[in-house]
Amino acid sequence: MKLSILSSIVCLSVSASAWTEYFSFEKIQNPEGIDPQVGAMDTLKDGRIAVAFHRGEVMIYDPADKSWSLFASGLQEPLGMLSEEDGSILVMQRAELTRLKDLDGDGVADEYQTVFDGFGMSGNYHEFSYGPARDAEGNLYIALGVASNGAPMREEIRGEFSEIGKVNREQMSTRAGWGKNKGPAGRMYSRVPWRGWVLKISPDGSQMEPFASGLRSPNGIGFDAKGRLLVTDNQGDWRPTSPLYEIKKGGFYGHPASLVWTEGWDGRDPMDMAVKELDDLQDAPVGYFPQGELANSPTWPVITPKGALPDGLVGQTLIGEMNQPSLVRVLDDEVNGKFQTALLAMFDGSPLGIGNNRIVFGNDGAFYVGKTALSWAGESGIMRVKWNGKPFFAVEAIKAVPNGFAIRFTQKVDNNTLKSIEVESNTYEYRSNYGSPKKDLQKLEISQIELLADDKTVILNLKDFKEGYLHAIDMAGVLSTDGNKLLGKKAWYQLNEAP
Amino acid sequence: MKLFIAFFSASTLIVLAKPDGAQLFTTNCSACHQLDQMVVGPSLAEIRQIYNGKPDAFVKWSVNPMKKRPNVIEMPSMVHVGEEGLLAIYEHVMKVAEGVKAKAQVEGDPFATSPTQAKRPLVQRMFMPDAGPAAIAVALDDSVSLCWDAGECRLRYAWNGGFIDGYPYWSGNGSSLAKILGNIRYVEKESPFAETVDPRFLGYKIEDELPVFAYQVGSRKVTETFSAIADARGFTRSFKISPAPSGPIEMDMPSDQGVSYSSDKGTWTGSKLKLKAADAAAFTIKILFK
Repeated sequence: MKLSILSSIVCLSVSASAWTEYFSFEKIQNPEGIDPQVGAMDTLKDGRIAVAFHRGEVMIYDPADKSWSLFASGLQEPLGMLSEEDGSILVMQRAELTRLKDLDGDGVADEYQTVFDGFGMSGNYHEFSYGPARDAEGNLYIALGVASNGAPMREEIRGEFSEIGKVNREQMSTRAGWGKNKGPAGRMYSRVPWRGWVLKISPDGSQMEPFASGLRSPNGIGFDAKGRLLVTDNQGDWRPTSPLYEIKKGGFYGHPASLVWTEGWDGRDPMDMAVKELDDLQDAPVGYFPQGELANSPTWPVITPKGALPDGLVGQTLIGEMNQPSLVRVLDDEVNGKFQTALLAMFDGSPLGIGNNRIVFGNDGAFYVGKTALSWAGESGIMRVKWNGKPFFAVEAIKAVPNGFAIRFTQKVDNNTLKSIEVESNTYEYRSNYGSPKKDLQKLEISQIELLADDKTVILNLKDFKEGYLHAIDMAGVLSTDGNKLLGKKAWYQLNEAP
Repeated sequence: MKLFIAFFSASTLIVLAKPDGAQLFTTNCSACHQLDQMVVGPSLAEIRQIYNGKPDAFVKWSVNPMKKRPNVIEMPSMVHVGEEGLLAIYEHVMKVAEGVKAKAQVEGDPFATSPTQAKRPLVQRMFMPDAGPAAIAVALDDSVSLCWDAGECRLRYAWNGGFIDGYPYWSGNGSSLAKILGNIRYVEKESPFAETVDPRFLGYKIEDELPVFAYQVGSRKVTETFSAIADARGFTRSFKISPAPSGPIEMDMPSDQGVSYSSDKGTWTGSKLKLKAADAAAFTIKILFK
């Protein structure tokens, strides 16, 4: 026991810079004079990187000569971007989804076309707008944050006002006396249409389908390599820790404020609903980011392309993170047809830094990590991260098996180090309070550890392997047969379904 | 030696299960408190100045925080961390902030002179006073600006002097409105069109650096563009309606604004402009501040 603690500490202290043996980290030059907080990014067909900044500029970075050029400006809080076949760029800003078109081919947008603005705005600062993600048919999915009771609404709003709530419209939009109205208003509120929803929009923007509800602050929406629509959300009220969701049509993802916009809603105030009823109604997260350990504010999901990482890790999902100096890898699994994941840190202990709001990949496989703070903790500018092509020792996949997990590593494992693996499990309390401590936290006894004939796959048999629990698998002491230390040492597997 | 200390503290932690202040800080506090710089809440350096030697006051405040700084949001209660945990956070904060000096907060907008902010004309979507939340500020030139409301598809007001100070909005969490730099000279309380049932905003094109706003009213598409009249004296406003109206239309401009109106087409009765169908497809109104 003592020995394993010691060895894990040795690993931590020595491998703090280990990512740098395989990746270069280089801050790229910010455009002159621009507030360099990055709200959105995408890679254009020709490999240039389009970047939307906090004050609404869309600029194009050319990695070939490290130059910046201005494509568009004047947008409000752009937080999502998607480039299109014809060279136009879709940008999600506070008030609308906008298509930026360069009509005369001079490299600057001449048209700011409103593609979709059919959602409400109360004027509250926390009603951020995210997206779009595009499905195989070209439909677009956007995600709308709910308002925060850190501030009231504004007197003038866009869209219908919902009368459902303990505080009336006048009280909701009056700064004087807000101190006594903010509690009854709800920690986060949805008094105008589609706040807290994912909306599906037809390719031409003319049709909208309310797709799923129950979101809070969904600063990440994207499809994974298998076509699942993933959304991240932030720890807060009804969010014990930050969750990862697979969004399905008609789903409800736990934050109740948005329920009032459900078709045929019975008029009840979701704040009056019993936790049990809401809990029965909600679709469980497919992954949890433990607060303070893995992520406090996860961001956009992206698919890792060929060349960015060793082949075994290509096609996996990667998610940014605002508060921890790392990104998060998503290891997907499917049990009885149900998708669930293990999450683990990437670039932890590297020079990456915090504020990792958006990730895109250049045509050469380099990561471009765009950073922001928006008055919360964070950074600004863009970090370029490039793999040097050398294979490294990491977890490749984690699958649930009867009574435990199968963990596959990228390299052959030193059998003697496997006994250092430790597993804990916990749940969280679904509740209106801001966040939740871990519940039922316990160390699980590992009844058997078996290394398979490929020398890369380990089967962990656990006592007390329980559905509904988050399993923290600490592999800090595991070494490869070449003595390499693991990059990404602890994984959190959310076991919604056991085989 | 370092290793030994790390080992020692790690084993202490396991044996005594003493709360880990650093870990608790990361989990509960780090999103809003940085070492040497005010972000959402005060820096650890400042917190140390206030609370060093006063762990009980630190715990008391953390359990029952109040609003004491204008323009700073009230901290949520940390009661869930527990007294022991809060004391561990206290010790952590006092330790890491020892000898650290808080960075002075930058006064004013460091990006006010950026190429995209200082440019004229300029279109900037922004939270604006006295307008809907989907507002667009437009600097027509150095001295005449206006606020277009993309929610209601109409001009809200125009001013002369400077443009806007967006720093209160951009530097915070987005809860502030931009400040108007100058004097409001013209306000429209409603659309001058008699009928504008549920207009739909279509966006804008940039022509000669100025926006051409487009919106759909029933079966007709309306475009509206503006230009400044020299020396901050007013602005022109050009409309195009397509397909052209089938009959005459009337533009009911506000009569109480201390401006004078003229136009290239139609006839005025007071502040009402009558346009024959043939003229209504494209016309320009000139608005002069008095």
